[in-house]
Amino acid sequence: MKNLLISAALGVVLASPAFAAEVDTIAILTPEQGSDFGWNQQGVDAAKAAAEATGVEIIVAEGLGYGDVRAPMRELAAEGADLLLAHASGYNTAGPEIAEETGVAVAIVDSPDALTPGKVADYTLSGHEGAYLAGRLAAKMTTTGTVGIVVSGEPPSWNAQSAGFAEGVQAENPDVKILYSVIGPAAYSDAAGGNRVTTSVIAAGADIIFGQGNGSSFGMIQAVESNKATDGSDVLFIDVIGDKSSLDKGHLLTSVMWDMTPVYTAMIEDLKADKYGTRSYAISLADDSVKLIKTPQVDDAAWEDVMALREQILSGEIKVEPKFDAAEVRALVTLAE
Amino acid sequence: MDGLLTEAFLSSLFTGAIVAAVPMLLAGLGEQMSEKAGVLNIGIEGMMLMGAYMGFLVAFKTDSLWLGFVGGILGGLMVAIAMAVLCVRLGLNQIVIGIGLTLGAEGLTALLHHFQFSRTYPRLPVPERLNIPGLTDLPVIGPSLFGRHLIVYLALLAVIILALLYRRTNLGMTLRAAGESPAALDVAGGNVLGIRVFAVLFTGAMAGLGGAYLANIGAGLFVPFMTGGAGFIGIVLAMLARGRPFWVLIGSLIFGAALSLTTALQVAGSNIPTDVIQMLPFAAVMLVLVLFGRRAKLPSALGAAYERGAR
Repeated sequence: MKNLLISAALGVVLASPAFAAEVDTIAILTPEQGSDFGWNQQGVDAAKAAAEATGVEIIVAEGLGYGDVRAPMRELAAEGADLLLAHASGYNTAGPEIAEETGVAVAIVDSPDALTPGKVADYTLSGHEGAYLAGRLAAKMTTTGTVGIVVSGEPPSWNAQSAGFAEGVQAENPDVKILYSVIGPAAYSDAAGGNRVTTSVIAAGADIIFGQGNGSSFGMIQAVESNKATDGSDVLFIDVIGDKSSLDKGHLLTSVMWDMTPVYTAMIEDLKADKYGTRSYAISLADDSVKLIKTPQVDDAAWEDVMALREQILSGEIKVEPKFDAAEVRALVTLAE
Repeated sequence: MDGLLTEAFLSSLFTGAIVAAVPMLLAGLGEQMSEKAGVLNIGIEGMMLMGAYMGFLVAFKTDSLWLGFVGGILGGLMVAIAMAVLCVRLGLNQIVIGIGLTLGAEGLTALLHHFQFSRTYPRLPVPERLNIPGLTDLPVIGPSLFGRHLIVYLALLAVIILALLYRRTNLGMTLRAAGESPAALDVAGGNVLGIRVFAVLFTGAMAGLGGAYLANIGAGLFVPFMTGGAGFIGIVLAMLARGRPFWVLIGSLIFGAALSLTTALQVAGSNIPTDVIQMLPFAAVMLVLVLFGRRAKLPSALGAAYERGAR
């Protein structure tokens, strides 16, 4: 009887989720260097900030490329990482496998269906609300009556922002034409392609470009600086995720900034509370993890209007739903003649 | 498809086609000379990439686009020298060495970029354009065709010069002999290895210049792997052109237009799925190969190392 009671008590202890997991170290894996003024840099900076806020160590593994990351993931798990932030959609296959194999929690992107309690969580981030505001701003400031969206791929996060931007433009002024062009199937670092496509979109009439493209963004910016709009005015650029204002030569209109610190902080806290893998994480205007930056190129009156619109989104007066499918984006922009 | 044949569509198409075609034209012209001399220069992608890196580095450090182009030529030559020594002088397998040089150049330039530029991403100033009076103002095609950087017009001039060189000069005949019948050239007193080394170095210079154009004019900065296969397309162009520089020009414009069409169709609001549109350049390559590939006449000794007296 005594043995039975001891066994039962041990069973309850082992099966209980009430005991918090100890999290000492997290690691982030990025495909490119964390110095790209965009996706990779924001990820690395946010992971460092979250680690500091929660008092854990961080290991940064940068520039791993878009190939197979199983080996570095195993290595980081062996080094004692309690959470692996697999910061690229190309890591979504390897991530859950490594979580299963090593027992270390893994966070992946753009995979809301992959949630596995204790092992796999998803962060499908989207600044669609910020992109909507950027669209309103672009529609207010265009002089040619045409704006362009140039993307280096069509991952869900970017589709949501492209759709948000297009909806913002249409809400502000339905007469503004929206041109849309994808550089290539996964042309994230194709700077020359970014330049070529953006040059073409400008030649077709756009004077404000909403560009999403990691390394290819630099080619887009070069095209914006190199070409005049069809009405002779300067072309302006709207960036996403990071802040390139330190590189700006007078053409950056704004950027839809992302701050992933709240996301990573929540993941660490959930892991400590044994709730990891039970929910997805998001960024939003409400906590400023999505926001627009004001540059000297922004008209003050237009900025005030946009900030007022921001309040309307926060109050629920304006609703911007994310649209993650590329077909939904195209449905919004094929109105161009 | 309402937007097809509008000014916006055509402007987008012509502009993108020229921007995309120039690097492929320069690479194709370079590769053509190697192939004429009997060397299959698979390493041209690496030469282009090194040219892109060196071209950007020099232009950035000196604030001179023209010195940047010289840097690009030197960058291409650096890889071409390795190709000439290993494949022409030592007679090693041209395909294996070419692939190795390309992979090596990819890794080296990515590493150098990481240490030098990956935290600042510097960009070059906007290049000046040479507007041809009277023509630049033409609607649709004016700015696209007649408002380009001087290097574009020099690339077109190179087509004419090379066509004359191949047809009218002894050097052209010697190059052809080195590719068709190196032993006969040797017997006639020609220097087979010397002319092949010259051809490989010329390829390196042209590929490097193409890479520098891509970095300095096409993008305004260098990023790793930025050539994206333009060198390999240059090889296809050279093979299909049957030794004629004008055909390389036409081919590069076709491929450039196919690339640009992917943008123009999207800009025109086409309802064709993006994935299908993105396949167009590759479909164009396949179509051209099916239509003209069989008739592509390659030099008899292409790819074969020459060793005096060997049978």
